[in-house]
Amino acid sequence: MKIIAYSEDIDYIKTAVSYFPNEYVVGISNKTTKVVDELHLLDDVNEEFIANYIASLKPDVVVTGSTKRDKTVAGAVAGLLRYPIITDVIDLSGNKAKRIVYSGMGIAEIEFSYPVVLTVSKKNIEIKEKESKIIQVKTEMRRVRRVEIKSKGESSVDLSSAQIIVSVGRGIGNKENIKYAEELAKALGGALGGSRPVTAELGWLPEDRQIGLSGNKVKPKLYIALGISGQPQHLAGIKDAKIIVAVNKDKSAPIVENADYIIIGDAIEFCKAMTEKVKKK
Amino acid sequence: MNIVTCFKIVPDDTLIKIVGDKLDLNVPPKISTYDKNAIEEGIRIKEKYGGKAIGVTAGNTDRKSIREALAMGLDEVIAINMKEQDVMTTAEAIAETISSIKPDIILTGEATTDSSTSVFSSYLASLLNYPVVTYAKSISIEGNKVRVERNLTTFQEIVETDLPSIISVVGEINTPRIPSVKQILESSKKPVKNIDYNKQPRVKIVNVSPYVIIRKKIVIEGKMEEAVDKLLNYLSQEGVL
Repeated sequence: MKIIAYSEDIDYIKTAVSYFPNEYVVGISNKTTKVVDELHLLDDVNEEFIANYIASLKPDVVVTGSTKRDKTVAGAVAGLLRYPIITDVIDLSGNKAKRIVYSGMGIAEIEFSYPVVLTVSKKNIEIKEKESKIIQVKTEMRRVRRVEIKSKGESSVDLSSAQIIVSVGRGIGNKENIKYAEELAKALGGALGGSRPVTAELGWLPEDRQIGLSGNKVKPKLYIALGISGQPQHLAGIKDAKIIVAVNKDKSAPIVENADYIIIGDAIEFCKAMTEKVKKK
Repeated sequence: MNIVTCFKIVPDDTLIKIVGDKLDLNVPPKISTYDKNAIEEGIRIKEKYGGKAIGVTAGNTDRKSIREALAMGLDEVIAINMKEQDVMTTAEAIAETISSIKPDIILTGEATTDSSTSVFSSYLASLLNYPVVTYAKSISIEGNKVRVERNLTTFQEIVETDLPSIISVVGEINTPRIPSVKQILESSKKPVKNIDYNKQPRVKIVNVSPYVIIRKKIVIEGKMEEAVDKLLNYLSQEGVL
């Protein structure tokens, strides 16, 4: 089988390689890695170019990561090759795969036949390095032209690897109140995140702080949810947290059923008390 | 301008419950959340630039949901009835159905709430040989040029492409309108074209089980000061602080 692993994030390529340990894997990325047999190193990410490039190599299996741009490439490649596609695969063996469905409520077991395009969820895996043959690839813009990239600010943190996360939802009240959560996060040496409403919709926090199915999926030891009601899409992003603490005024909020420790009360009052006590420790 | 909005009718994810070791999917259907944003954006483009806004749905063809899409302002809906579907067969069915319409712009939601694959728009784009722009948080059209601001989670990107093209939209692009009673009544007169499409998908869901993590659900009572003390105790016992 001719296997191609593509992602803009090397961790996904490692995951892809782990599913096909005995095969010759061609890696394609804009980042360098030594976990594949052959690496086609791109000088930029242009989804249309990359999709056409992968399709031109006539692979039997394409495995990509699951970043938004990775998925765009995956769908386009599958369409060009007329292959079926399965996304966000969390487990793969033979012609069976598992993935999360219904906004994080269910796990689907899927049967499929090769050839296929897969996008995988990230796993923490170390892969033995090898001598990768490197081929430089110059990307070019085609029909979709990039005009500008607005990068995230320097304050940004990597939520996916944070051990402690303090996360705010609409229940925090307003943008000003976020500083109390920020102080708590600082006192705990943790990172600050937020639900889709406070990030993408209301803009109280930058969009790269969004936690949930459509934002960052996190796996901290401790996740403190402040004023977050706990919609399925949010819960799906925090399933791998070891301990979830919820502070919420509404004891019938779904987060209460999905937390380890629950304080029914005001999130700001909680932040003040908790910050003070943590600092004293 | 020929505007096509693809939308999917899915089990209402906010009503799905876990019953024993099964997911109870026998809940009322609805238009998938972000597909409503796609419908709204299609209607807004029509209102601004003129033309026809056509909805296409594949899979479940629930009449009430289709009426809602028409009441919002779509001119007509093509309903493709599919008993089984995956991304590939859905894209093939829709590509076949709309190629004769020659759409100038095709809109989809960023993901549906049932399968959340997010890859339908780029799959369809490849079948139709259209350029695709995903995760649009704003769309502006000038002549033949379309400029899109994309939300890619860790950063934003602005791109340009030419019509015809396919664009998937994020939930923040707009607030879908709620149709008036008059619009709901009038929607019954709008055309709905029904098509059957049967092709066996090569990807098959054989089982769906609940995805649950058992949590301790310990409610800490008392005044905030005391509650925080108790919580800190628990957290140090857990070894997370």
